[in-house]
Amino acid sequence: MSNPRQNLALLPAQFQTPFGVQALTLFFVIAVWELIGRTGILFAGLFPPILEILQSLWTYIATPIMLPHLKASLYEVGGAIALAALSGIPLGILWGSRSSWLEIVEPLILYAAVVPKIVIFPVFILFLGIDVHSKLAVGAIAAFFPISLLTIAGMREVKKVYVDVARTAGASAYQIATHVYLPAIAGQVFTGIRIGMGAAVTGALLAETKIAKAGLGFMIVEYYGQFRIADMYALLLFIFILAALANWAMKALFARLSPSARASQDAGMYF
Amino acid sequence: MVVIAESAVRLGWISSFFLAAPTRAVIVLWEQIVGGSALWLTGITLFEIAVSLFISTVVGVFAGFLLWRYKLIGNSYEMFLAALFSSPVILAYPIFLVTFGRTSAAVIALSSIFGLIPIIINTKGAFQNVNPILLQVGASMNVTRKQMFRYILVPAVAPTIFSGFRLALTYILKSVLGLEYVAQVGGVGMWLSDAAFKFEVEEVYAGLLGTIMLSIGFLYLIDRSEVLFRK
Repeated sequence: MSNPRQNLALLPAQFQTPFGVQALTLFFVIAVWELIGRTGILFAGLFPPILEILQSLWTYIATPIMLPHLKASLYEVGGAIALAALSGIPLGILWGSRSSWLEIVEPLILYAAVVPKIVIFPVFILFLGIDVHSKLAVGAIAAFFPISLLTIAGMREVKKVYVDVARTAGASAYQIATHVYLPAIAGQVFTGIRIGMGAAVTGALLAETKIAKAGLGFMIVEYYGQFRIADMYALLLFIFILAALANWAMKALFARLSPSARASQDAGMYF
Repeated sequence: MVVIAESAVRLGWISSFFLAAPTRAVIVLWEQIVGGSALWLTGITLFEIAVSLFISTVVGVFAGFLLWRYKLIGNSYEMFLAALFSSPVILAYPIFLVTFGRTSAAVIALSSIFGLIPIIINTKGAFQNVNPILLQVGASMNVTRKQMFRYILVPAVAPTIFSGFRLALTYILKSVLGLEYVAQVGGVGMWLSDAAFKFEVEEVYAGLLGTIMLSIGFLYLIDRSEVLFRK
C-alpha cells in the first residue's frame, strides 16, 4: 500500500511505456466511441463517426468557411490581451512597488478574480452592444487578473537592493520601472500574458456562445441549435488545437526571451 | 466608485438604461431576497456546487491515488490531464446540454470535470511527496498496511489534498455560475441571464451584485475553513 507499482501486470511488455499506454487509451476511447455511435445504445446522435468529425475539421482548415468567424474571434482575443497587458502590467508594477498599496489592493484583486467574468457580460452588452467589442471587454477583464497578479508576484521577488542602487545612481521613477523592475519581472509577466491569453480565449468565446453575430463560439451554438453534432465536435477540436498551438508558441517564445518564465500554471482559474 | 455611479445616474449624466443606481440595485436585490426567488435560486446554485464538489472529490481522490499507485498510468496520463487543464473545456457545454438536457445535471456534470482535475493532480502529488522517512519509521515499527495508510499516509497527504479541494471549489463555483448564466439554467446565473434578456437593468445589476457577493462569500468561507483545518 505504501509504495507505488512501476508496471502493470495486465499489459504486454511492449506497451509498458507511457507512450504505449497513451496509444492504447486513445485506441480504446475511439473504439468505445465508434461502438456507441454505430449501435446507438447510448445518447443517440451524440457520437458521430470519428471520420465524419475529421472530414468536417478538414473542411474548416481547407476552405474559407471559418474565416470571418476566425477573424472576429482573433480580433476579440488579440484586443483583449492587448488591453489587459496595457492596463495589468503598469498597474501590477504600481501596486507591487509599495507594500502599503499591496496590502489594500491584493485582497481585492484576489477576491475579484474568483468572480466568473462572464457574468459581467450583460453590463458590457448594455454599454457596448452585441458586436465584437462586448466580447473583447469580457476577454480583457478575464486576462487582466492573471497578468496583474503575476506582475505583482514578480514585483514581490525583485530584490530591494536593485531599486536602492538605481535610486542612489539618481534614476527617475520611470527609469526604475523600465530598467530595474521590467527586466526583473519579465518571466512572471510573460507567464501572466500566456495564462491571460487562455483566459481571454475562454472569456471571449464563451460570451460569443451567449449573444453574437460572428465568431467561433457563435458557430458552436449555431451548430448545436441545428443539431450538427459532428460539425460542433470538429469546431471544438479546431478551437482546442488552435489554443494549444498558441499556448505552445507563446511558451517557446517566452522561454527564449526569459528562461525564468513559469510553465506550470493554467488559465482555467480566470475565465 | 459607488458614489460616482450613484451621482452619475441620479444627475442624469448616464442614462438609467445603461447603469442602475447602486442603491436601486441593492434595494432590488433585497426585495428579491425577502419576497422574491433569490433565496430559492441561491439554494439551487449551492446544491449544484455541493454535488459537483462531492463527485469531484470522490472520483478525484480515488483517481489521484490510482495514478500514484500505478506509476506507469500516472506518467502516461499526466499529459492528458495537463492538456485538459489548459484547454477551454467549458466551451464544450453544448455537448452536456445535448446529453443531460437543459437541467442542473448538465451544469453539475461539466463543473465536476472542472473540479476533478486539480483534485487528481494534488492527490497524486501529495502521495508522491510523502517523506520516505515517515514510511521507513512505520515499517521499522512493524505497522500493518492498513495502519500505515491510516496513521502515516493519510495525515501526510491531507494538507496537499485540501489545497486541491480548495482550488476545485473555486473552479466549480466559477463554472456553475458561468454555465448557469450562459445556458440559462439553474440558479443565480439563470436569474441574471433572464434579467438581461428582459432588459431589466436594475435587476441585471442586482443579479450581478448577488453573484459577486456569493463568489466572495464563498471564497471567504473557504479561506476561513483552510485556516481552521491547518490549525
